[in-house]
Amino acid sequence: MTANRHSRRDFLRQAVATGAGVGALSTGLTPFMAMPVWAKDEPPIGTWPAGSQGSSVGIGVAVPRTGTYAVQGEDELKGWELAVEHINSGHELMKKISPKTTKGVLGKEAKLYVADSAAKPNDAVQAEQRFITENKVVLMTGSTSSAVAVALNKLAQREKVLYVTGISGSNDTTGKDCVRYGFRQNFFGQTAAAAIAPVLVKQFGKNKKAAYMTPDYTYGHTVTKAVQDATKADGWTTVTNQVSPLGAPDFSSYLLNIANSGADVLINVNWGHDAVLSIQQAKQFGVLDKMKLVVPYQVPFLARETGGLMQGVYAATDYWWTIEDKYPLAKLFNAAFEKKYNYKPEWGAANAYVSFAHWARMVEEAGTFYPPTVIKTYEKGETIPSLVGDVHYRPEDHQCIRPVIIVKGKMQKDMKGKEDYYDIIEIVPGEGLMQKPDAFGCKLGDYT
Amino acid sequence: MFTWANFFSQVFNGLALGALLALISSGLTIIYGTLGVLNLAHGAMFMMGGYAGYVVYDATGSFTLAVAGGALFMLVVGVVMERIVIRHFYQRPHEDQLLVTFGISIVMVEVVRLIFTSLSKTVPPPPLLTGITSLGVTFYPTYRIAVVAIVAVALLVLYFILYRTKLGMIVRAGIEDSEMVDSLGIDVYRVFMIVFGIGSMAAGFAGIVNAPVVSLTPDIGEAILVQTFVVVVIGGVGSFPGAVLGGLIAGEIISITSMINPGYAYVMLFAAMTLVLVLRPYGLLGARGRE
Amino acid sequence: MPSPRRYLAELLTALGLLAAPFVLPHLGLAPNTANRILVWGLFGIGFDILFGYTGLLSFGQAAFYGTGGMVAAYLLTRAGFPSVWGALLIGMLSAAVVGWLVGLIALRRTGIYFAMITVAIGEVFYFVEFNPLADWTGGENGLPGVPTPSLYLGFTTLHFTSGWALYPFLAACYFVGIVLALRIVRSPVGAILSAIRENPLRATAVGHDIHSYKLTAFVIAAAYAGLAGGLLGILQAFMPPEAFIFDTSGQLVMQTAIGGPGTLFGPLLGAAVWLSLQDFLQGALGLGSAWKLVLGVVFVLLVCFLRHGLVGGIKDLWRLLFERKRAETEAPEEATPIRAAPDSMPARAREGDLQAGTILEAKGLTKRYGGLVANSNIAFTVKAGELRGIIGPNGAGKSTFFKMLTCEVPPSGGTIVFEGQDITGKGVTEVCQLGLTKSYQVNQLFTRLTVRQNLTIAALADLRGRFRLDLFRSLEKIPGLQERVQHTLGLVGLTARADTPVSVLAYGEKRRLEIGLALATSPSLLLLDEPLAGMSPRERVETVQLLKSIARGRTMIVIDHDMDSLFELVEWITVLQEGRVLTEGTPDQIKSDPAVREAYLGGVHA
Repeated sequence: MTANRHSRRDFLRQAVATGAGVGALSTGLTPFMAMPVWAKDEPPIGTWPAGSQGSSVGIGVAVPRTGTYAVQGEDELKGWELAVEHINSGHELMKKISPKTTKGVLGKEAKLYVADSAAKPNDAVQAEQRFITENKVVLMTGSTSSAVAVALNKLAQREKVLYVTGISGSNDTTGKDCVRYGFRQNFFGQTAAAAIAPVLVKQFGKNKKAAYMTPDYTYGHTVTKAVQDATKADGWTTVTNQVSPLGAPDFSSYLLNIANSGADVLINVNWGHDAVLSIQQAKQFGVLDKMKLVVPYQVPFLARETGGLMQGVYAATDYWWTIEDKYPLAKLFNAAFEKKYNYKPEWGAANAYVSFAHWARMVEEAGTFYPPTVIKTYEKGETIPSLVGDVHYRPEDHQCIRPVIIVKGKMQKDMKGKEDYYDIIEIVPGEGLMQKPDAFGCKLGDYT
Repeated sequence: MFTWANFFSQVFNGLALGALLALISSGLTIIYGTLGVLNLAHGAMFMMGGYAGYVVYDATGSFTLAVAGGALFMLVVGVVMERIVIRHFYQRPHEDQLLVTFGISIVMVEVVRLIFTSLSKTVPPPPLLTGITSLGVTFYPTYRIAVVAIVAVALLVLYFILYRTKLGMIVRAGIEDSEMVDSLGIDVYRVFMIVFGIGSMAAGFAGIVNAPVVSLTPDIGEAILVQTFVVVVIGGVGSFPGAVLGGLIAGEIISITSMINPGYAYVMLFAAMTLVLVLRPYGLLGARGRE
Repeated sequence: MPSPRRYLAELLTALGLLAAPFVLPHLGLAPNTANRILVWGLFGIGFDILFGYTGLLSFGQAAFYGTGGMVAAYLLTRAGFPSVWGALLIGMLSAAVVGWLVGLIALRRTGIYFAMITVAIGEVFYFVEFNPLADWTGGENGLPGVPTPSLYLGFTTLHFTSGWALYPFLAACYFVGIVLALRIVRSPVGAILSAIRENPLRATAVGHDIHSYKLTAFVIAAAYAGLAGGLLGILQAFMPPEAFIFDTSGQLVMQTAIGGPGTLFGPLLGAAVWLSLQDFLQGALGLGSAWKLVLGVVFVLLVCFLRHGLVGGIKDLWRLLFERKRAETEAPEEATPIRAAPDSMPARAREGDLQAGTILEAKGLTKRYGGLVANSNIAFTVKAGELRGIIGPNGAGKSTFFKMLTCEVPPSGGTIVFEGQDITGKGVTEVCQLGLTKSYQVNQLFTRLTVRQNLTIAALADLRGRFRLDLFRSLEKIPGLQERVQHTLGLVGLTARADTPVSVLAYGEKRRLEIGLALATSPSLLLLDEPLAGMSPRERVETVQLLKSIARGRTMIVIDHDMDSLFELVEWITVLQEGRVLTEGTPDQIKSDPAVREAYLGGVHA
C-alpha cells in the first residue's frame, strides 16, 4: 500500500479518518480542509493552492554544500540562483525559453529556499520535507547523485509536489524509480556511454583492449556495462575492471593493476572528487602515458581541478560553453553567468538553469500551479528551446530528449583562453540515443 | 588477474601505503599511550597539516618549506589545543575526551571548508621527485618511492626521540605506568604538552607529505582516521612498534586484496582486525595495561 | 514503595507527546521535524542505555540502525511482506541478533579500544551494505517506496501517512520505547548496568557476570536502533543507505551528549536542539555550509562546560535554586555511632558437616611476576568460623596472596580449595558466587550512586546469581532484597546516610561502605584487606567493633598493619615474610616471637 498509489478518494478518506481517529492531531491537514476557494476540478493537493496564494512562490533546493559533491552542488546552486533572478526580472534569455514569462511565474515572485544535503538522500528528504511544510514550496530540486534524485522522486510523488532533478546519471531516475511528479532534464550515464562509444571506435579503431575504473555503485556499474556493450561489436575487450569504493582516498592499487594489464584505453567512470583524484594518480603512475584516457561522463570542473590532465581526453557532457558558436541561447547564458560569477558556466549550472526555465514555461503554459495540470503540460511533449537546441520531454517517463555533446580536451597550445579546455567533437542528437521509455521499467504513478 | 609482476608491485604499493599509515598511527598511539587520550581529531589534523603546507607552498613555491610549514603549524596547533582544551580533560572520563576531540575534528574540517571551499587543492611534488621510476618489475611514481623514504626517516626520528632521549624515556615510562611517572616529580603536564605537539606534528607532517599523492579536500581526514584505528588496534594501543607493524600489515592487506577483488579491500582490513582481536585481544605488540 | 511519583516520568512523557502537536506548530516546528526528533530520540534511548547507563561509548550504532531499517524496508518493498508492524518487528529482531554477534567481538575490550572497534565495525557494515549486499539493499540508492502503517480498528482504519498524521504512530512507538526503557533502568539489570559504568572491577568482584550484562546492554541498544531504523524508512518512504555511515553514529553520539547521557530523555532533547538549530542556522540565518561549523563549536562548548548535557544542566540549576536550602536544614549527622547489630546478618547457609571443618585450604601457592617471586609455596588453612589475621612487613606479599585467594589473579602454582571445592583458576565472579569475597585496600565503590544503590548492587549478586535477564522486574519485587540492604546499612552504621551519594561521604563512611559491599553479598568467607587503613584512632575503635559484630557466624581473614587492633580482633595470626609463611600462632605467641620481631626490624636493618 504505497503512498503514491492512493487515489484522491483515498487521500480525502484518510485525512478524514485520521482526523476522526486521532482528533486534532491532524492539525497539519486542517488548513487544507478549510481552504475556502478552489476551482471544482482543482482540489487541494500537495502544497496547492496554499503555496501559490501569496505574492511569491517557494522553490526548495537541497544541494550538497559540504561533503564529497560540494563542488558540483555549489555549481548547480549558481544555475538555479541565476534562473530565479531571470524569472523574476523577465530576462531576455528566460523569455526565449519561456515566452509567456513576464516577471515572476504567473506574476508571482519565485523564491529559493536552500539547504545543505551533503549529497545524502536522508538530509535532502529531510530538508525538502521542511520546505514543503514550512514554506509550502511548489517545486523541489537538488541532487548531484541519483541516490538523492531517486529519494526526492519518491518524496515528490508522495507529497504531490513537483520535482526536477539537478544532476542524476542513473537509468533508474526515469526508469524503474520514475514518478509522475518528477522530471529529468539532463541525460544519464547510459546515454553518455551510447553516445561516446561510436566516437571512441572511430578515434581509436577496432579490437582495442580497455581497462575500466568503476565507482562501486549502480551508476558506475551501469555506465561501465553500457560502454562495454556498445563497443563489443567492434571487438573491444575488457582486460580489467577496477571497482573502487566511493570516496576512496587512494587509487594506487587499482592503477597498478591497470598499469600491468596491457590495456590500450583507460575508461574512467569515477565521478566528482573521485574522478579528479583517480586521474591525477593515473598520471603519477604513468598510466596516462601508456594508454588513452576516456571519461564517459564529464564532471563539472574536472579540467580545472586536474590541471591539464584532460588534454586529449574524450568525454561526453551535457554542456560545454563553446557551443555558443552554434546555439545563440547558450551565448546569452554564458554572458549572463560570467557577468554574475566571473567564470564560464559548467554543465551543472547549465542544467540547473534550464530545468527551472522549462518549469517556468510549463507553469505559464498551464496557467496554473495546480500540479496535475502542470504535469500534463510537460507531457504534451512539445518541442521547446533549451541551451543546446530544441528538446522535448517524453510523456512516458518524463525524460528530456536532448543531445549529448562529445568533447575532447584541448592541448595547452591550442587553448584560446584559460577556460578554453575542450574542443566540441560531435553533438549527438538525443533521439535514438536514449533508450526506449519502457526499457527500465518505468511506471509513473498517479496524478493525484 | 594474477601475475608475479603485479604481485610484487602490489606488495611494494602496500609498503608505501603502510608507511604513511604507520606514521599517522604512531602519532595517535604515542598521544594515547602517554596522555591516555584518544584524539579523534587526529584525522582532521592530518588534513589540516596538508592545507597548512598548501598555503606555504602557494606563497613560496617551495615544497621543502611547505613540509616544514605544515609540520610546524600542526605542532603549534597541537600545543595550543592541549593547553586550551585537552588539559582540562585528563581528569574527566575517557568518554568526555572522545566527545570533545570528536567535536574539535568537526570544527577543524568546517573551518578549512569555510576558508578553502570544497574544491580540491593540489600540491605538486618537488620537481626532482616527479616522474616515474622503474622498480624492475614495475614502474612506480618517483614521489611515492620518496614518500616511503621520507616516512622511514620520520619514523626513525620518532624512534630516536622515544628511545634515546630523556623525554622519550619519560613518555615510555608513562605508557607503562602513568602513576609511577607522576610520583617521580616530573612536570607531567609539560611532557604531555610536548607529546601532544609531537603527535600532532606527525599527523601534520604526514598530511603535507601525502598532499602531492592525494590532493586535498576537507574530508580526507575521516577515512584515514578509521584506517588509523584499525592499524592501532592491530598493532596494540600505545605501542609505537605496534603502530609501525600494524600500518605495514594494513597497507599490504589493502593492496594485495585490491589485486584480487578491490571491492573487498576494506572488508578484509576489518576482518583482519577482528581476527587479531579474537586471537590477541591486546594487539600484536600491545601489552595488557591501559584500556 | 509504590507512590504516584513512581510513574511521573511516564505520565509526563505521555502528556508531552499528546501536547506536542498543539504546541509545536506555534513554535514554528514542522511536523516532519517533530517526527524526525522522535526517531532520533528512540534511537537514542537504546544508545543511552549503552552509553549513559553502562558507560560503553559506541561509535558504530549506525550499523544496527541501518540493519534494522534495511531489513524492514526490504521486507516491505521487495519481498512483498504484508504487515508494516511485522516488518518493523523483524527488523528490530535482526538488528538485535546482529548486535549480539558484534557485541561478542567488540566487548572483548573496553574503554577506548571498544570505541575504536565499534567505529571500525560500523564501517564494515557500510562497505558490506554497499557492495556485497547491494542487490538486497539497493546499494547507494537505498530502498525507496517504504509504505506507511495503518491500524484497523473494527469500524475504521487509521492511516498514518506523513506529517502530523504519522506523528501518533511514531509517538506511540516512542512512548512504548521509553516505558520499556524506564522499566529496564529500574530493574536489577539496570542497577547492575550503572554499577558497570561506575566500577566494572567491583561489579565483577561482588559476583556479577558483567560481560553478559554488557552484551545485554549492547543488544538492547541494537534493538532500539533497529526499530528506529525501520521507522526512518517509514518516515521518509525511503530507506537511505547513509543510515549506515559514520556520520549517523557521530550525530547520535553528539545529540546524546548535548541532551545529557544517562537520562533516557537526553537524546530526544539533543535531537530537538540539533535539528532545530540545523534548520535555524541554514534557514533563518542563511549560513549555508557554515551551519555545521556553528553546530560543531556549540557541541565543543557544551562538552567542555556542561558535563552532563542539557538535562544535567537543568537538573543542576534546579538543585541550585530549590534544593540548596533543604540541604542546609538537613545537616549530615556526625559520624553515626556504630551499634553492634542485634542479630548479625547470617552468612549463607552451609552444609552442616562442613560447619566445623576446614573452609579454605591453600597448598603450595606460588605467584611469580616475571623473575620476581611474590608468593612462594604458601600452605594456608582456615577453619570455618575462624577469625584470622595476616600480618607481614611491606612487600611480604599479603595483597598478592589475597588476590590469589579471591581468584583476582591466577596463581603460578599450587591449589586453593574452598568448602571442599577446588577453585584454582576460577574467576572472581564465580568465587564470589560461591561465598568468598573481599573488601579492598583502596575503596572500590560505585561513586556516583547512593549508599543504598551500592549495597543493592552487591546484594543482588547473591540473590539473583551471576547473570539473570529479569529486565522488566522491579527492584522492589525481589524477595529479601530490601531486608538485606536495610540490614547491611544498620550493620555498617550508614542507615541515616542511605540515600546520600557516595561521592559526598566522609572517608570513614566510605571505608565502612567498602566493607558493607562485601558483606551484602552474604559471604561465608570474608577477606578484609587493610580495613583500618587511613582511619583516625576513633574510627579504628569503631571499625574494630564493627568487625567483631559481623564476625559472628562467619569466617573472616583480615590483613592490617595496625597490630594492636588486629591482636585485639583476631584469634589466630599468620605472619608472611618475603612471600612465605614465617610463622603462625595466637596474638600472644606472635607478639613474643623473636622471628617476627626480626622480620619487622630486620627489614629496617637491611
